[in-house]
Amino acid sequence: MILQVENPVVEVHDLTVSYDRKPVLWGIDLTLPAGALVGVIGPNGAGKSTLIKAMMDLLPVGSGYVRIFDKPIDEVRTRISYVPQRESVDWDFPASVFDVVLMGSYGKLGLFRRPRKADKDAAMDALQKVGMQSFANRQISQLSGGQQQRVFLARALAQNADIYFMDEPFAGVDIATESAIIELLRIMREQGKTVIVVHHDLQSATEYFDWVVLLNMRLVASGPTEQVLTQDLLEQTYGGKLTVLTKVGELLKKQEFPSRES
Amino acid sequence: MQEFFEFFSFTDANIRYVTLGSVLLASSSAVVGCFTLLRKRALVGDAVAHAVLPGVCLAFILSGTKNPFVLLLGAFITGWISLVTIDFITSRSRIKEDTAIGLVLSVFFGIGILLLTAIQHSGNAAQSGLDKFLFGKAASLVGEDLIAFGVVAVLLLITTLLFYKELTLLCFDQAYAATIGFPVRALELLLTTLTVFAVVVGIQAVGVVLMAAMLITPAAAARFWTDRLGLMLVLAAIIGAFSGVAGAFVSYTAPAMPTGPWIVLIVSMIAIVSFAFAPNKGWVSRLLRKRRNKILILEENLLKLLYQLGEQKQELHTPHPLQEILQKRAIPRKQANTGLRRLSSQGYVEKTTAGWLLTGQGQRRGERVVRLHRLWELYLTQYLHLASDHVHEGAETIEHIITPELEQKLMEELGFPVLDPHSARIP
Repeated sequence: MILQVENPVVEVHDLTVSYDRKPVLWGIDLTLPAGALVGVIGPNGAGKSTLIKAMMDLLPVGSGYVRIFDKPIDEVRTRISYVPQRESVDWDFPASVFDVVLMGSYGKLGLFRRPRKADKDAAMDALQKVGMQSFANRQISQLSGGQQQRVFLARALAQNADIYFMDEPFAGVDIATESAIIELLRIMREQGKTVIVVHHDLQSATEYFDWVVLLNMRLVASGPTEQVLTQDLLEQTYGGKLTVLTKVGELLKKQEFPSRES
Repeated sequence: MQEFFEFFSFTDANIRYVTLGSVLLASSSAVVGCFTLLRKRALVGDAVAHAVLPGVCLAFILSGTKNPFVLLLGAFITGWISLVTIDFITSRSRIKEDTAIGLVLSVFFGIGILLLTAIQHSGNAAQSGLDKFLFGKAASLVGEDLIAFGVVAVLLLITTLLFYKELTLLCFDQAYAATIGFPVRALELLLTTLTVFAVVVGIQAVGVVLMAAMLITPAAAARFWTDRLGLMLVLAAIIGAFSGVAGAFVSYTAPAMPTGPWIVLIVSMIAIVSFAFAPNKGWVSRLLRKRRNKILILEENLLKLLYQLGEQKQELHTPHPLQEILQKRAIPRKQANTGLRRLSSQGYVEKTTAGWLLTGQGQRRGERVVRLHRLWELYLTQYLHLASDHVHEGAETIEHIITPELEQKLMEELGFPVLDPHSARIP
């Protein structure tokens, strides 16, 4: 059940990504519709984060290409926004909550230019949307996990992008934060934005997303939530890794083989 | 002492130059060092510092002069090669970064010492003074040298400030920087180049062996005093500049002394003082906080005991002798006395002939501690399902830190209870 769409916002074509020669994603062909809340779902080690990182050209790809808004990603950088995993940065960095959110304006500013009043207002506005305006001057190391996640979200909001990539925004956050985030995502969808979320909780997936991508080293399914979250497809996704696929991957690494001949 | 005034009156033009030079070098490397530190590449700075020595020696051998620009160029080239080698080893083999740094540092420095020894035994008269690159000599920072190193130092400061926003984001969240279209690889290269330059200009004053300290220590010390990056850069620059001047002074008054070790000792002293005395994060301030907590616990316990004694007699307005308090709870007599005297000076208790008496204010505070204790016990039994004989110990601590807001919330969640798990009344 892999549904391809007309005029996709994201088009992934024959994408293979390897770490240390061992492929973690095999030949992904994927298109995503505009204005959808997309959940990328699969077990640990399925390559969910790798997929969205590869979509944003953060990783070298073994084969294939990604187009966003029917253009190479480097031409549409100002229209995309990334919310990395919370643990990916050192929160003891000397910065305040406001400093971090203001980073959302850096992309549009370009090199050398300093943020101006309009950028600062936008950052404050974004903080307000996630309910953190009273924390603006707080040192970031003093935040709880949920608050850190909200700060990252505010930074993305301050970018005012058209497509958002979020890596596990619900991981390790309190219930209040989780519902605040999903509320925001719904508002963003109503504004016609596309939001792609790496998610690991099947229970809430049905409720949160209107499009689901099932992944386990290869694309298992992609389509409207109710058509994708079926017993059969879930078993294919979670029913253990494909043994032969894994073994071949390990062989490629051991023999130092390229994943494509040329 | 006379030398001190002679130096710091700055009447001698030479002294002015040496001081200016040291300030520029030390502060520029300290500012660049802040970013090196935040990018967690402090050790790399050390490797580069050692790796510039072969460059200096090679430049001298090939050109036959001690022209500072030529030596700088040589230093820059090998410093840079060392960094590229570290990156190459880390990405192309199973060797981890710390091992790669160790390998590169020792190999480059070894070659450097070899070349230096060869030069010294070559009988070339022009070579005298080249060894100052080992441990530094700030006092020789005059004329052509000063101009060369000074210009590079100023350029370093300007470049760092120009790229402040970009370098900050690179250090904090590289992946995010890449997604918004920052040229991450170029910025990395820039920071690497800045680090190499900072090392190269600093070696004149400090020497290759100890240069890493000038790069990293001011930044580490500054981090203790502030949570703002902008202020951290300023503080690091000041700390660096101060140690630089001190080093220049030592170098001027005791020409036989190598400057580097002195500068490093001074900057390390500042770092140790920062570690000990910085507000909030410093060791002393943590010690004081601990002491404050201890006093608070003692005082609140005394008030609580007096309140409980009054509760037993159903008469709060009676004095209790110290002996009675200590019978209820074993507190060292001396501690109890000091605590009670402090409480009486704050107006919580009064000393009467029959013993200690709670004032109105003291009654309220004692009552609050008892209330919090019993509320917390109730909370533990109801929400954590602990047995009622397991909750007292925990409540002994928690009763002292619950804020009025949390107290209100506890009351609400427990439905404004009347009795605690031991059926004692919650006041």
